[in-house]
Amino acid sequence: MLIGIVILVALALIGLPLFAVLGAGSLLYARDSGLDPALLIIELNRLATSPNLATIPLFTFAGVVLAAGGAPQRLIRLFNAVLGWLPGGLAIVAIAACAFFTSFSGASGVTILALGGLLYPVLNKVHYPERFSLGLLTTSGSLGLLFPPSLAILLYGIVSGVNIDELFLAGIVPGLVLMLMLGLYAAATGRRFDVSHHAFAWHVALRAVRGSLGDILLPVLIVVGIFGGFVTVSEAAACTALYVLVLEVWVHRAIDLRTQLTDLLADTAVLVGSILIILGVAMGLTNLLIDAQLPMKLLDWLESSIDSPLKFMILLNIFLLAVGAMMDIFSATVVIVPLLLPLAARFGIDPVHLGIIFLANLEIGYSTPPVGINLFIASQRFEQPVWRLFRATLPFLGLMLVWLLLVSYVPALSLWWR
Amino acid sequence: MKTLHKLRAALVKVETWLAAGSLLLLLLLALLQIVARNLFDAGFAGADSLSRYLVLYVMFFGAALAVERDRHIRIDAFGTLLPESIRARLFRPLRALAALVCLLLTVAAVRYWQDAWQYAPDHERWLVLTSLVIPLGFGLLCAQFLLGAWLGPAHEDPAC
Repeated sequence: MLIGIVILVALALIGLPLFAVLGAGSLLYARDSGLDPALLIIELNRLATSPNLATIPLFTFAGVVLAAGGAPQRLIRLFNAVLGWLPGGLAIVAIAACAFFTSFSGASGVTILALGGLLYPVLNKVHYPERFSLGLLTTSGSLGLLFPPSLAILLYGIVSGVNIDELFLAGIVPGLVLMLMLGLYAAATGRRFDVSHHAFAWHVALRAVRGSLGDILLPVLIVVGIFGGFVTVSEAAACTALYVLVLEVWVHRAIDLRTQLTDLLADTAVLVGSILIILGVAMGLTNLLIDAQLPMKLLDWLESSIDSPLKFMILLNIFLLAVGAMMDIFSATVVIVPLLLPLAARFGIDPVHLGIIFLANLEIGYSTPPVGINLFIASQRFEQPVWRLFRATLPFLGLMLVWLLLVSYVPALSLWWR
Repeated sequence: MKTLHKLRAALVKVETWLAAGSLLLLLLLALLQIVARNLFDAGFAGADSLSRYLVLYVMFFGAALAVERDRHIRIDAFGTLLPESIRARLFRPLRALAALVCLLLTVAAVRYWQDAWQYAPDHERWLVLTSLVIPLGFGLLCAQFLLGAWLGPAHEDPAC
């Protein structure tokens, strides 16, 4: 069995799709334990009993349609008109636009491709140091991860069984704190390098607001709809998908339903399929590991070596940062969260707070080697070596680590609404 | 070889339509449920269960398409550090291995489905029928990986 695990880890490291690695691991374990592999399929079929499962494809579809309909350009125009007059204005515009767009696009790298390509030449043009611009745009690819209706939050809610409404609420303040910290850093850099910024003009701002009113109303409608008790999360997902379709097809006339709808739906299915197939296969493996009492054994070991929640939190953050450096956020959620939940409960960490800590760690992992997806996508988009980009992100990662400490050790940031 | 290329193209076309159709149906069903609940204070019987199975349809057809587009999530920590020639040489064996795993999962799914069909009460038979997508989906994944192993990358990319 041990040899099998070593071979599977090696195969994963050289590029076997993760769902195949997990599937092979489950089959191996089932064979080793004399269990019927059909048990794995029973667990996969349990996915179809998850009440919020439909939110994932529907919100993802909304993100895909927004990206294809030109929302990135409209958002940059809007945030530039409203925030571009601030010191460090354009960098703050980048932070706000990327965070907004990532919450819908699911931090799948689309933000760097869609927004980064537009913002990079403009940041250079106003004389931001190139290294700063690269670092900013690379880290911004995962900035809105904690804002509703982020795909990562939805997946965490489904895997952990934690109420998704509560997770949405818990992510807002930590997400805003990070934006504020990065915004202050951007403003300081702008001042230091005497970067030019334009004066505020009411007519430009009003025109930009009118042009993207439909986009900025979207998160407001989702938050009011869910927390006002008008719609459930699943209903909000369906309404969002319809709203975005109407917005892009009939209001902005940016999408032609006859020629583009099938491709948009198929693109969504590919994105959703590549994530959910891991969830489906991992459910079987997780259940086998729970049957083998692995979480209990881990808990016993932890209890004997760690005597305080503080120590546990430090260890948890180190572990999750390492996980973030090795796995992408969706795989990590599926594989690690079921094992973490009982451990965190034992040390008195609220599962909603745990969710925000988990996602904050993995958000940092997006920009750390060896598998930080932001680094690879930015490398492709800006035609820069990965190591140069990693060096450029270091000041941002430093700020994010400070933010992580805040999120971890000040639970009120996530749980203020209780 | 030409026939296999045609087969792959045909499979992709069918999967595209099935994935797009499932997602569209999921959206329409969800919207219909909202209208029915709010206007008539009632929902369509079985619509929620059907919606959740439709997610599995989207998942499997999307995952099968992801094979052809080379979009499956990988840890690949070392793969990106390897020279392109070695990565290209690894493409086919890794696809063949993934096909084998999918084949074994297909066999397990067929056994699961047969048992589920045998023991399902009459009123739940339709749900068991919808779960046919599980063996079918793993079968499609297996076929796509096998075609990938045999034919090489669908889109000529020297890095693959």
